[in-house]
Amino acid sequence: MNNGEIAIEGGSNTPAEEGVPEDIVLNEHAQVCLQHLLRVWLGFERDLSKVPLLRRIDLGTYTADDHQVFLRNIRQQVIEGSRWITRTASSFDRDHAEIRSTIISHAVDEHRDYEMLEKDYVASGGELDDILSMERNIGSEALHGFLMHQSSQPNPIDLLGAMWIIEGLGEKMATSWSERIQELTGLGEDSTRFMAYHGHNDSEHMERFYATLDNVCVNDDAVKRIVKTAKVVARLYRLQLEEMEHDLK
Amino acid sequence: MSVYITSTGRFLPGPAIPVEDVEKVLGAVHGKPSSLRVQIQKANKIQTRHYAIDENQQTTHSNTEMATKAAEECLDRAFVGREKVGMLAVASTQGDMPAPGMASMVQAELDLPEIEILTTHGICSSSIMALKAAWNSMRLEEHDATLVVSSELASRLLKKQRYEAATTSTFAAKRIDFSTEFLRWMLSDGAGALLLQNKPAPKGLSLRIDWIRGFSHAHALPTCMSVGSAGRPEDTRTWQDYDTYAEAEQDGALLLRQDVRLLDNLMRMGVDGYLRLVEEGVSKPSDVDHFLCHYSSHHFRNKILEMLNKAGAAIPEEKWWTNLYTRGNTGCASLFIMLDEFLRTDELTVNEGDRVLCFVPESGRFNTTYLHFTVVSQ
Repeated sequence: MNNGEIAIEGGSNTPAEEGVPEDIVLNEHAQVCLQHLLRVWLGFERDLSKVPLLRRIDLGTYTADDHQVFLRNIRQQVIEGSRWITRTASSFDRDHAEIRSTIISHAVDEHRDYEMLEKDYVASGGELDDILSMERNIGSEALHGFLMHQSSQPNPIDLLGAMWIIEGLGEKMATSWSERIQELTGLGEDSTRFMAYHGHNDSEHMERFYATLDNVCVNDDAVKRIVKTAKVVARLYRLQLEEMEHDLK
Repeated sequence: MSVYITSTGRFLPGPAIPVEDVEKVLGAVHGKPSSLRVQIQKANKIQTRHYAIDENQQTTHSNTEMATKAAEECLDRAFVGREKVGMLAVASTQGDMPAPGMASMVQAELDLPEIEILTTHGICSSSIMALKAAWNSMRLEEHDATLVVSSELASRLLKKQRYEAATTSTFAAKRIDFSTEFLRWMLSDGAGALLLQNKPAPKGLSLRIDWIRGFSHAHALPTCMSVGSAGRPEDTRTWQDYDTYAEAEQDGALLLRQDVRLLDNLMRMGVDGYLRLVEEGVSKPSDVDHFLCHYSSHHFRNKILEMLNKAGAAIPEEKWWTNLYTRGNTGCASLFIMLDEFLRTDELTVNEGDRVLCFVPESGRFNTTYLHFTVVSQ
């Protein structure tokens, strides 16, 4: 029972709050960009509270069935995630070799995360076949389509905006959701490993993120592109989460 | 038309109560000391506070009386006669009577004839709503002077008898019920008053109101601080839906609750609102000379600081000023009590031309309000 400690002692930080490591001093454009990104994140996070399934985490009525719905719907995006990330890497030219390496190592970290998610699903009481046969929901289609399109453009630096949102959510799952879900549903740790692990890994990703942002966000145009893509991804990600309960079986 | 805060007043009931005596005043529930008190008090770092109840939990001052005393002090210090006051706006989380509005009761006590009145209802931000409405009526040139009063008597909600009577509540059912006990060690009583005029005071410092903005997020987030429900997600009844008020009390529907899990949202929305004002060009962190932030606990101060730092919109800590630690968290009265002392304290130097940013968040259902003043003298 650590109910109050959350509020009194703190500890649940999203990347938005964790912020830039001390050894990285952002250039002026990157700093402005980060300020905008922080607002996009905070708005996204607030709006997630309106998604009925996620609202039940806040209200304390989230069930094991809800958790299965969540995992079943998120799997496709996790699988596709490594595809758009690797495509992003290949869309950077030789002048962006540094970013390319960063993105490739990021993709390596995550490209088999979905297997963990499948195990969580079974541990939550779901049938493996059900999650394996689950197709992309309407929001996942839109999100995936957008990300594959953007990542196919030359030097798609704007996808930093996508990473900001997606990594942010990973961290939020780990710090705010995984334990709470166990508490509410009575499910064990083995049902939220994807959430917990993903978040842990993501704080290292954020360090790379800030370094990359400083590197590529060097003019107004870059700020605009990165922030716009963050907004689109936030909106489509929310659509994906909103569509979870319209489960396509 | 420019509007100025030309006088302030406050009232803090009884002696300053140190942390270790708080439970003597509120009473130990069923005679047993709370197991959460020390932990919560350690986190909020409030050293002394005031209560309008005595050690037998008997009310020593009504909410109306406290509001009136703060208003009297404010009017006594003003360079203008009370007959010039055309409007009285009063804010409180809970007046002495559910009806009529508290402004009626305060007007009667102050004996201000035939004025316009306004009662605002809410929690911490209700005083900002009252101030904004009064400011707007001045801007419309309907009045030459308006009086805004905020007052809170939280201790009546927090005394031991409330908890002892809640025999079928979440408080009675759990070994530790954080949601009902949290605010018990946070809130206390007091009142503050501001006089608004269309010209600065002839002597001393006045505060010109530059802007007041608010962003509420009730559309997105669940209720976080409330009185009126039993605090069980599956139970949608509110206090008046019970057959009798006695049953509502038993069920804990009259206990003050805070869903502490949701509280982080308030810091996030607070920072978001400020970044919005920065983005709109309304506020510039480097232009702020004094930052008066209403926070309920020292813990949240650090959170806000951290987040603003990370966004590159930090207001340096030496510009922050508060009297939370000595006057307590008096809900909607806090900012007015803070402003009153800010203009008088020797702790800092306030000069003509200084820009003052204030932030009053309300956890009830996530309303965040921001105010900006410039220090002027005639």
